[in-house]
Amino acid sequence: MNATILLWQKQMKKALVHPEEIVGMLIQPILWVILFGVGMRSLMGTTTPDSGNDYMTFVVPGIVALTAVSAAIAGGSTWLNERLIGIVKEYLAAPIPRLSILMGNAISIVTKVLIQSVVILIVGLLMGAKLSDNLLGWLGGLLLIAGYGVGFSGFALAVASSTDSSEGYHMMIFLLQLPLLFLSNSLYPMETLPTWMKVGAYANPTTYVVTGLRQITLSQTPTIGSVVQIPLWLCFVVSTGFAAFGMNMALRAFKKTIK
Amino acid sequence: MPKNEKAISTKGLTKRYDKDVLAVDSIDLSIQTNTIYALLGPNGAGKTTTISMLTTLVKPTSGCAEVDGLDVIQKADQVRQRIGVTFQEIVLDPDLTGRESLNFHARLYKIGKAERLAKIDQILSLVELEEAADRRTNTYSGGMKRRLELARGLLTNPSVLFLDEPTQGLDPQNRVNIWGYIRTLQSNTNMTLLLTTHYMDEAEALADQVGIMDHGKIVVEGSPRELIDQMGADNIRIIGNGKQDVFCESTKMLPYVESFHSSNGIIQIGVDSGNRRLVEIVETANKSGFVIEDISVSKPSLGDVFLKYTGRQLRDK
Repeated sequence: MNATILLWQKQMKKALVHPEEIVGMLIQPILWVILFGVGMRSLMGTTTPDSGNDYMTFVVPGIVALTAVSAAIAGGSTWLNERLIGIVKEYLAAPIPRLSILMGNAISIVTKVLIQSVVILIVGLLMGAKLSDNLLGWLGGLLLIAGYGVGFSGFALAVASSTDSSEGYHMMIFLLQLPLLFLSNSLYPMETLPTWMKVGAYANPTTYVVTGLRQITLSQTPTIGSVVQIPLWLCFVVSTGFAAFGMNMALRAFKKTIK
Repeated sequence: MPKNEKAISTKGLTKRYDKDVLAVDSIDLSIQTNTIYALLGPNGAGKTTTISMLTTLVKPTSGCAEVDGLDVIQKADQVRQRIGVTFQEIVLDPDLTGRESLNFHARLYKIGKAERLAKIDQILSLVELEEAADRRTNTYSGGMKRRLELARGLLTNPSVLFLDEPTQGLDPQNRVNIWGYIRTLQSNTNMTLLLTTHYMDEAEALADQVGIMDHGKIVVEGSPRELIDQMGADNIRIIGNGKQDVFCESTKMLPYVESFHSSNGIIQIGVDSGNRRLVEIVETANKSGFVIEDISVSKPSLGDVFLKYTGRQLRDK
């Protein structure tokens, strides 16, 4: 635990050294909400009158998931860089558990994700999304997204442990990222998807996390996507299971690097 | 429990990567505590892989190894607690200051705050980095980075300190400075040092014992003095052509020849006095029908020892 906290502190300190990272971290989700959210709201308003604001409410949880994935990719890239420079050797030669090294990194990624999530929710609120005023709901939502963030961080760390090429990492992660985001109900309603995509979406943890977020962070269920009924407890189980699965993958891949 | 007299011991330690690459080929090491041992060899000889196995970063394919009496596989965590390592490449985080790097490292080893802060000040003073301590390491010169890494290796009071090419890439002045720190360390502590180098002068200047490594094997071992002395008082090195066999046979018979070695067209003759015997050697060559193209007299060095045992010259002197 000591080492996990230590690694987390180190990664956070490193982020603070670069103000451009902090600025980018805060502005990126704002741009998503404003550019994508507002743009799509206008489109929805054109095609289906009065559904514009409803779409903004609908999409805010999806943007939270999307931002978590972006943060995990950036975190995996940092890890790859540390591996390639050789900094990881310092951790490996120290008397600390291998898992704590990975957990420290994953938790630092999730910390950034949670900060971004709060920014998204606030900007979403300002842009007309109908969010809940229940603080517990928001905390529960952050918990859901934390599990998702740890899970995808695990994926990113696993990929970053399996390659020595930055280009290779980004290509592989891109292949994982696309279905995880778009084969889900994060950006469009489940009922509009063809059956094969629905099957994929129900096998995708993103769907459960985003659906859970919609249930507890919104003040009213948007009419778009209202068909998806997944019990909240299942959303939490999937989020937790995804976190465990991702970190297990990362640990396996990391151990393989120790030849 | 009595202190283990052997800081490092290995038996048949082997590392094979894939099927074709035998990086370390069944080496047996026995390194006494409180000594400096240098693994000397060219790049690719297997030195770093050996250190990586001893520091638990790489799993041996076969054989066994103990550091401070502890098996590197079975008791890897305890081994890690007792060792310090500086790696061949500089592995400092460019975003941290020198002091932060040391503080982070000490915390990895759970050293308490008061002890940690005192130790960091003490070590920064030893490697003369007090003034630069609060600057980010990406502003350090190569020599400063090496010194900081040395400091980091020492911070946890290790029983055994591994230094993988500690002066690689440094200018002569910085190399001599690092040697000074290593010598100071050795005289002030009971630490055992295992260093790898491809610089002969470094091994000669620092090591109590040297193991010459080539193609994954330790080809000869001994103190630098023992190894050099066996080459004779002076070393005459000859390159030429003609009847080399006749010349070699005749030279070996000369009473003042203390050692003789020939490989890859280079003939090395250890004699009692180079300047005095040079003319006689040239005469012997002429009589044998061997034409000398290049001849030199020098005090023997570990480079000559390396040439004798590997048949090759050590590059990057």
